[in-house]
Amino acid sequence: MASADVEALDFEPEDDDLMDEDGGVDDNNNASSPRAAPLPKLKSAITGGAKKTKGRGFREESDADRHTRLASRDFDSLGSDGGPGPQRSIEGWIILVTGVHEEAQEDHLHNAFSEFGQIKNLHLNLDRRTGYVKGYALIEYETFEEAQKAISDMNGAELLTQTLTVDWAFSNGPSTGPFRRKTMRPARRSRSPRRRY
Amino acid sequence: MAAIEEESGEFYLRYYVGHKGKFGHEFLEFEFRPDGKLRYANNSNYKNDTMIRKEVFLSPAVLKECRRIISESEIMKEDDNNWPEPDRIGRQELEIVMGNEHISFTTSKIGSLVDVQSSNDPEGLRIFYYLVQDLKCFVFSLISLHFKIKPI
Repeated sequence: MASADVEALDFEPEDDDLMDEDGGVDDNNNASSPRAAPLPKLKSAITGGAKKTKGRGFREESDADRHTRLASRDFDSLGSDGGPGPQRSIEGWIILVTGVHEEAQEDHLHNAFSEFGQIKNLHLNLDRRTGYVKGYALIEYETFEEAQKAISDMNGAELLTQTLTVDWAFSNGPSTGPFRRKTMRPARRSRSPRRRY
Repeated sequence: MAAIEEESGEFYLRYYVGHKGKFGHEFLEFEFRPDGKLRYANNSNYKNDTMIRKEVFLSPAVLKECRRIISESEIMKEDDNNWPEPDRIGRQELEIVMGNEHISFTTSKIGSLVDVQSSNDPEGLRIFYYLVQDLKCFVFSLISLHFKIKPI
């Protein structure tokens, strides 16, 4: 029985090689408060001014596991030159469409976006609660030019009464602070009247 | 209303779901960092031993949409005080920094809406339940399109 309780509460990853420096601390915690699991305490991954904090994560004890799981250097990525601008995905170029009407269907997007090139993939995800469209779509083109054309022609266009925002999904390097839009998107030429679909 | 906080300011998000069992520590975790980097880790020791770890920089447009999804959920108004404690079945963690608020919620795995209904805070837990699904859905689309892998 006792061992079952311990097991239920024990979140120590004994078989996790990422983690082994926190054992002593956890033993102490267990001794002082047998009901308290050795749970992670949050050390914010970011720094900043005083914030209003809320949640168990601030009251729980430190867990080195939490800090190492995503801290590793061995995350795979597709190569990038680190500069600004969009990044190519493994089989093409992905754009993000936002402001998509909740009753939009794949056909609407397909019709509007296939004039710039063959759409290799289209994700139109649904709101899990309502079952309607969540408001965004991800579209893949094979070439940079097709994706770029879709962005410049469709950003600001109207679909089912809503104005779309269209931009690249992935970036070559970090964006620090509030992002400077102009580095992502060159100033547009004088634009033609908005499209409607 | 929420539009203002969507536009600027600090942003960080981390979601973890996992458990420790006979196949070791199995978990899924992803993180949106302030510099725009998305990190995704999925460790299942069942059948194969490999941990999937992927990272990619997101455009500001994607981060903005992520903020919108969070703002509209109103998760920042909730509190995990009355949510089920993590147990041997597993735990979930959701940490978000947005504006001048920082939440770090922890709860058990939620199998279905039945678990939500029978909890002590069904309204709050329902918001968490749906937000997590919407975020996972967003991240899985991003990762699978970029890397051509099937998450989970």
